Amino acid sequence: MNDFSELESELKKLRPAKPSAELLARIDAVFAKADSNQTTDPHLYPLPQGEADAERQVRVTHSSGDTAKIIHPTRFKVSWLSLGLGLAAAAIFLIFARVGVDRPPKRTPITQNTPAPATRSTIASPGFIPAGATQVVYHTRDEGLHFPTGYDEPMRRVRYQKRETLQWRNPNTGASLRVSYPSEEVVLIPVSGQ
Amino acid sequence: MENVANHEDWKVCFSEYGPGLLLFARQWVRSPADAEDIVQEAFVKFWRRNHRIDNRALLYATVRSIALDLIRRDSRRARREAEAFSDVAPSSQPQFAVEDESQRTLAAAVDLLPHEQREVLVMKIWNELTFAEIGSALEISQNTAASRYRYALSALKKNLQPQ
Repeated sequence: MNDFSELESELKKLRPAKPSAELLARIDAVFAKADSNQTTDPHLYPLPQGEADAERQVRVTHSSGDTAKIIHPTRFKVSWLSLGLGLAAAAIFLIFARVGVDRPPKRTPITQNTPAPATRSTIASPGFIPAGATQVVYHTRDEGLHFPTGYDEPMRRVRYQKRETLQWRNPNTGASLRVSYPSEEVVLIPVSGQ
Repeated sequence: MENVANHEDWKVCFSEYGPGLLLFARQWVRSPADAEDIVQEAFVKFWRRNHRIDNRALLYATVRSIALDLIRRDSRRARREAEAFSDVAPSSQPQFAVEDESQRTLAAAVDLLPHEQREVLVMKIWNELTFAEIGSALEISQNTAASRYRYALSALKKNLQPQ
């Protein structure tokens, strides 16, 4: 049971002071002023100051006592200038893309691998068979143009840093062995002069 | 004409909620005129957006927000905030239409409540908001609102007990 029910009923007997008639008149005047500001459509109400810049007006229709609000944001109007600029940008992009497609680079990569670790050969013990190998490139660095000796044309040197993982499995015992090590690969890509 | 100025709905709503809103606004300002300014701004703003009062929590949150804005932007901000949150400063004018001495004592005891408790009490007793609505308006949990309400009643009961 509520211990405060008596106190609550006493509190509810207290009546808050009523708003002055002046307040009612002021609110009435504000709404009346809003109405007088309407232009062609009597159901259009401008929003209060500070919200008017939201580029919208609220259309209020009263039908059968119901109030419906339809917001007509002007930002959805088509801006022909923006549309034209957008199309021009798209056309320029397509032209450059086309140029790129027409001239695929002639690449004959020459690779230089770091030597594989010695574990690869020593692991090949009896009973273990290769079960898988993965190679994950985690960093690629373009080191720019180089002129290696013995080549007539410049080469672009690209360095790949990878992690290779080799896995073996012994089908007899079910044992598995996995070796993971970092590796690095340098690729020299001939650069066409045309 | 079917428009806001001639539509009587807002007057019906205001006659129902006006006194409670005014009392609620008086939590922050001592002057009834300031409270009426707050209520006017909040009600007009709310009504223009909604054209009905189906979200009372939002209406009271609007009043609260405008009241706090008024306190902050007013040149007498420091003094008003000190008054509003002092928790002991009595109102300069009565907030209730008291009929007898016991009601006057009760109103005075309400006025002495800590601000957070008085705020919830006003919303619950004289505006008949649910704890969920109070929580939503004050941005506190429903349980916190209920706790503050109980603390307020407890404090009132204690203060009203004969010494």
